[in-house]
Amino acid sequence: MDCRDVEGLLDAYQDRELEPAISTSVRDHVNTCAACHQRLANVESIGRMIRHAPYYPAPDGLRARLTQARTRSTSASHLLAWAAAVVLIASVTGSMWFVRSSARAARTLDPVDAVAQEVVSSHVRALMGEHLFDVRSTDQHTVKPWFLGKLDFSPPVNDLAQAGFPLTGGRLDYVAGRPVAALVYMRGQHTINLFVWPEASDAIRSSDAQAIRGFHVRHWTDGSMSYWAVSDVNDADLDQFVHALQP
Amino acid sequence: MPRSFEEVLLPHLDAAFNYARWLTKNDADAEDVVQDAYVRALRFFSSLRGEDARAWLLTIVRNTWYGRFPRRAGGGVTMVADEDADNRADVSLNPEAQMIQQQTVEQVRRAIEALPTDFREVLVLRELEGLSYKEIAAIVGIPLGTVMSRLARGRERFEGVLASSDIRGGRRGLS
Repeated sequence: MDCRDVEGLLDAYQDRELEPAISTSVRDHVNTCAACHQRLANVESIGRMIRHAPYYPAPDGLRARLTQARTRSTSASHLLAWAAAVVLIASVTGSMWFVRSSARAARTLDPVDAVAQEVVSSHVRALMGEHLFDVRSTDQHTVKPWFLGKLDFSPPVNDLAQAGFPLTGGRLDYVAGRPVAALVYMRGQHTINLFVWPEASDAIRSSDAQAIRGFHVRHWTDGSMSYWAVSDVNDADLDQFVHALQP
Repeated sequence: MPRSFEEVLLPHLDAAFNYARWLTKNDADAEDVVQDAYVRALRFFSSLRGEDARAWLLTIVRNTWYGRFPRRAGGGVTMVADEDADNRADVSLNPEAQMIQQQTVEQVRRAIEALPTDFREVLVLRELEGLSYKEIAAIVGIPLGTVMSRLARGRERFEGVLASSDIRGGRRGLS
């Protein structure tokens, strides 16, 4: 290789884009030729200069607009995926599969599964919208009466602090086409939403477990009420929660 | 496992904006281009299969920009004369040392902006974004060999522009 050959390859050489054999030839030449050595130094120097150019990060306003455009222009399932992403980032749970699996949310479902989707959505909305509480109290004797006159039923309210699930409050919610009671419990930093509404059924259904978009869901009935528990706590903890509610 | 749009493409928002900003040379147009590009990317997201998401997104950014500003996008490229290829500064002068003396990041910015788009974009993708020749070839839609020659020529021209701005500006007092 002579200087003319090498000169045309110096940029690719310093970009480490040459075939290994050619790269070796260029290196050998540069190591013995002062002029090409200087040329290479020059190319490298120009690269360093260009890297002094400003890097323009995306403005916050654009980021925010993209987020909004996204929620406006997309279907409910995408919206939920987005909401889920927001919750995910906010809570730094790190469970990435939760967002991934959200794309699968939009499917036709049997009625029970549809309710499961609804309670998970409600759980997500409550956490991201910060409307988790209408009544904020750790006292079951405050929370239970609060629902009086707001619902056509009286939800059972139990503080489970003894079992490690302190009650923190409740709110009115709307699920399965009707107003329901949503009771909020904590497990460490995790929120558990317990949705309760009357459902007369002969069969007492024991806890039915599923996972939707990374949230664990439990559903059971006690003959007069239907219960749905939703949380991102682990399965074992949620089972323990359900067990504590079913004396 | 399928990954979500947010997870895959939002991390590259800065890269998208930086590229668009260098293409358009102003914030407002860059924001418009990136916003449009993301809407398009969302539409075509299902067609993204295992490729490099950043390169894929930057391709869409480029196409969006090209669609919006066809005249500016196409202009100023072919007039590059081969004869002016050798306007690289005297190799005995270390350009980096010159720059440190001048302390002019602004000058670097102006010099890059003064380059025809074809050179500007490969330099930005290579030096600021750190992309490989292969990725650049895919984004810009040119052969690998053209990436190589454009980068080499772009660096030369950059140095030329910088040198002439030195003569016009900072060095006047020396003569």
